[in-house]
Formats: sequence, C-alpha cells, structure tokens
Amino acid sequence: MTTDNSQETDGIKELEEEILANIQTCINCRMCVNMCPTYEGWVTQSAFGRLAAINLHLRYGLGSEEELSRLIFQCATCRRCQERCRMLSTNVTPTDTIIKTRQLLARKAQARGRK
Amino acid sequence: MGKSLKGVIPIPHIYIRGNILEKGNISGVAGDKVSWAKNLNLPRKAEYTFFAGCGYQFMRYVEGMMKAAASMGKIGLGMEKSIGISKVLGKIGIDLPSITAKVTAAGKEDTYTRILVSAASVLRKLEVDTGYMYEDEPCCGSPLYYSGFLDDYIENANKNFGIFKSQGVHKVIGLIPACTASLRDYYPKYVEGYDLEVHHFIEIVAQRLRETNIKPKLEGKLIVAYHDPCQLSRYLEIIDAPREVMASIEGLELKTPETEQDRQWSTCCGGGGLEAGSPELCERLGLKRVEELLKTGAKVIVSHCPACVMQLKRSAEKMKADVKVIDLVEIVDEALK
Repeated sequence: MTTDNSQETDGIKELEEEILANIQTCINCRMCVNMCPTYEGWVTQSAFGRLAAINLHLRYGLGSEEELSRLIFQCATCRRCQERCRMLSTNVTPTDTIIKTRQLLARKAQARGRK
Repeated sequence: MGKSLKGVIPIPHIYIRGNILEKGNISGVAGDKVSWAKNLNLPRKAEYTFFAGCGYQFMRYVEGMMKAAASMGKIGLGMEKSIGISKVLGKIGIDLPSITAKVTAAGKEDTYTRILVSAASVLRKLEVDTGYMYEDEPCCGSPLYYSGFLDDYIENANKNFGIFKSQGVHKVIGLIPACTASLRDYYPKYVEGYDLEVHHFIEIVAQRLRETNIKPKLEGKLIVAYHDPCQLSRYLEIIDAPREVMASIEGLELKTPETEQDRQWSTCCGGGGLEAGSPELCERLGLKRVEELLKTGAKVIVSHCPACVMQLKRSAEKMKADVKVIDLVEIVDEALK
C-alpha cells in the first residue's frame, strides 16, 4: 500500500508470478476466441492469444514490451472471455490477467525510470 | 517518469492519468462539477450519498477530448510534450477551451448532465433519502486501474476513503457502472478498513419499486432493445434489476437480441477505455453492436452507462440508422411522472 521503492520492486515479482500462475490454469480450449469482440481473424485478438503472448514474453522473452503492450491494450476489458471461463469452471481470469499485465509493464517502466 | 512509459502505455492513457491526478476528473477540464445539482437542493448529509462520477458530468468534454487523444496517439507525440496539454491540442488543431465554451453555452440542454438530474429526480420520487457531496466528490480513479497505473490507483483510493469518511458517508449510490464497480469491488482490496456500503442506482430503484405501490407508466407505447453494459452485467453482475425495472413500467416492451448477445453474453459496444488507444477498432465494435440490436426490430436502444450511450449514439449516427439511443434513467424518470 506504500509507494517506496523497495516494495514496488517486490511488487513486480509478485505480480509476474500471479499472472503466470493464472495463465497456467488455461486448458487451451479456445472457446474465448470467438467470444472476443475484438477478434477479427488473428488469434492475438482474443484472450487465448493475448494470454499466450504474455506467457511467451514473460517466460521466454519472446517479443518486445512494446509489441506486447500493443496486443494487450487492444483488449476492451469487457470480461466476455472471463464469463466464458467461469461457465466452463476453469480458474482462468483472462481479463483480470490482461489488466494485471498492463500494471506489470507500467511498474517495470516506472522502476526503470527511477534508476 | 513520463519518458519511461513511452511505448509501454499508449499516450492517451498517460494523458488521462494526468487529468485524474492533476484535475480530479477524466477530462482534464477544471470543471463546474456541481452545476447540474444547482437547483435540486440535495442535502450534504443523508442516509445514502449519490455518487455522480465523471462519466455523465464530463461526457460533453470527453467527446472532444477523445478526438484529441486519438490524434495524439496517431501522430505519436513525445511524452514530454503531451504534458503541456493545451499546447499540444493547439498544435494538432483542437482548441479545447473553445469546445468547452460551446458546450457550456448549451447548458441545460446537454444530454448527459440531464441524465444526472433525472437520476436525482427518480430517487426523490421513490423517496430514497439521498445526499450529494458537491465539490467534495472525488474521482474514483478507475481508468488508472485499467490503464496499468495501479500504484496511483491505490494512492487515490486511500485518499478518497479519507474524504468519504470526513464527510460522514456510509452508504453510496453509484450511477456509473465503472465507478460503482471500482468503489464496491476494488477499493476493499486496496484500502484498509474500507467499510462503505455501495449500491448501484438501478438496484435501489428495483428494490423501491418492489417495496412500494408506485406503478411507473409511460404515455403511449415504447418498444426498446436493452444493451447490457459490460461493467454492469459482468463486473457488477447486475443483470436482472434493470429488466425488473423495465418490466414494471407500463407501456414499455423489451425486445431481446440473440441469447449469445444478451445478458452476461452481451457484446461489448467498444465504448470506454478502448477508444483512447484504438479508435478505429472501437468504431468497428460500435457498428457491430448497433447492428445486432437493430435486428431485434426495436427503434429505441436503451442502455445504462455513459460510455455505452455515447458510443451507441455515435455508431447509430454513423450508420444513419433510424434509431434513438437513450439511458434507462430517462425512461424511468419519464414513467414516474
């Protein structure tokens, strides 16, 4: 709840772990793809694709932060995918995880700015 | 700090963050926040406190601001420059003060603030003891959360809780779904000892209609299609209350879109945050949603969120569709006369 530097640096690690843990519970059913209002043919225009991009970036460094940012800021945060996951009784919360990744990118950038 | 965020957070989002932190509202206009409530004589202290939020009050400015923000994103202005907002707007040919002056002259005719007056009038007609914080009402800060500025959001939330407490607020009635979700579901996570009881306007209306013998009635017949706002149906999970209210209004007929586009599956209209970073995508979403709602055959689209109403209205105008977009609050107010 405070904003001193040491806590924020810790915040980055925790946030990253939280995001990755949530993505690992995805059963790859891809039911969310057609649900996404922004889907126009590319899988990265859906929750499944966005989560995959986040996972690959955080775990293996694939793609730049700028590219990842472009993908996740095209999410309308409407939670239609999340509702789909809930109905399928999975524990994935794609919208919340996408929002958390935005927060992660901002925190990382702010931490860099302080250095 | 601004520089380090460049490329990671879209510029319009950074711009909105500045507005909230510096001016206390999303539009960045040092506004007459309370003029809508001028003649209503709402008390400062009451059982419930009405939370008007930024959406309806500043929507008239936001329409212009979104255009400015979109152009900013398109031409990729540097962060250091976008801090001097008015300078930047001048550079890209948008004169915000004159836009502001124009809408202020329109005054009471403004469609969005009229909704706030209607909401207060509905609560009064239903005998809900409602107060208003006037200029002390803070911005809930929810765009900060969705844009990634979690630390700013938490700081703002804690500051706001102090304001609510100092004003003796216990029960809040929110009108804007996003603000209500922020106050009801996110604040408790980040504010220690948070104990405000938060309700959405339409829940209170539904409850009062159930408790009393008041029978809302429209003159003539109105056939409408209802658009569930994402923040109301999937964040707040308020799906039945607006339907219950509409069902209780004599003369109102509700047409429903297909099952997978209705209730918790309602297609997003693209209004709200998406517009800041991806205006073209947002436009396509709006057109798609209006098309879905037109298929019901209704000539009136009803929604219950300022962002949705603004977006659907604009999309319908773009399609030159013969359809009117109104907020549910206006219908309820009309029916309670």
